[in-house]
Amino acid sequence: MSRNPEEPVYNRIEEARNSLGLTRQDLADKVGVHYQTIGYLEREEYSPSLVLALRIAKALNQEVSGLFSQTPFKKGK
Amino acid sequence: MSKKNKIYWFEGVTEKGVKSLLTDENSKYRWLRSQRNRRVLVVLMAVGLIAVAMGSYWPTLKTGSLILNSGAEIAIYSVTAIFVIFAVFGGYLLLRISVRGIGDAPNELLDERQIKVRDTSFRYAYYAMGYVVLGLLLLMLIGPDLQMFQPKGNDGSYLVVATLFAFSSMPSMVLAWRERDI
Repeated sequence: MSRNPEEPVYNRIEEARNSLGLTRQDLADKVGVHYQTIGYLEREEYSPSLVLALRIAKALNQEVSGLFSQTPFKKGK
Repeated sequence: MSKKNKIYWFEGVTEKGVKSLLTDENSKYRWLRSQRNRRVLVVLMAVGLIAVAMGSYWPTLKTGSLILNSGAEIAIYSVTAIFVIFAVFGGYLLLRISVRGIGDAPNELLDERQIKVRDTSFRYAYYAMGYVVLGLLLLMLIGPDLQMFQPKGNDGSYLVVATLFAFSSMPSMVLAWRERDI
């Protein structure tokens, strides 16, 4: 299952998750997905639906626009 | 914890069964989940399905003829047939376990990525079964001319069993082959 190469979606899920001290399983339980799906998302190999993106943003106390982007995030930002 | 175990008759799975596979409760099956081992299982399954489909021709391997001459030959042939069919059934069960039951799980037990993965595997399985059915039709059309396939005796029943197994296991075979992490 790979992302759509035409429309890549970049994210900072791993960074936000680590800053809260959550494991992939913790985040998966919070948003109701399998822990491997979190792995696929963090590796940017899967682009989430809008509903899942909103749930992840809420679980990580972030704005969706701060967590997902169609352009790569600058490191350290 | 006394929640009733829901049975999904159409998919042929139970809620507890699928949930158990989706989590890592069954650590004894973890070895099955590497992509290499899953692919080995797919190849073995394909060989098993071909063996079952060609079940009527097994006697020719030893006698060169489709006719079995003695009771002992018939017994060996029958026991071998049962063994191979059970082995393929066992392979089918292992295959389901190797892909965490995603190939047969209902939507409500999967997340959106798993649903997408499952649906994609069904699409590829549909194409694959199309080729299998096309191959069988061609075999039936040109087989008699080439004296390869002469529908009589048990030919039909072995083909039906193999085709049913193929229909049931193809989505999981596709999943097992394609997915990196499962």
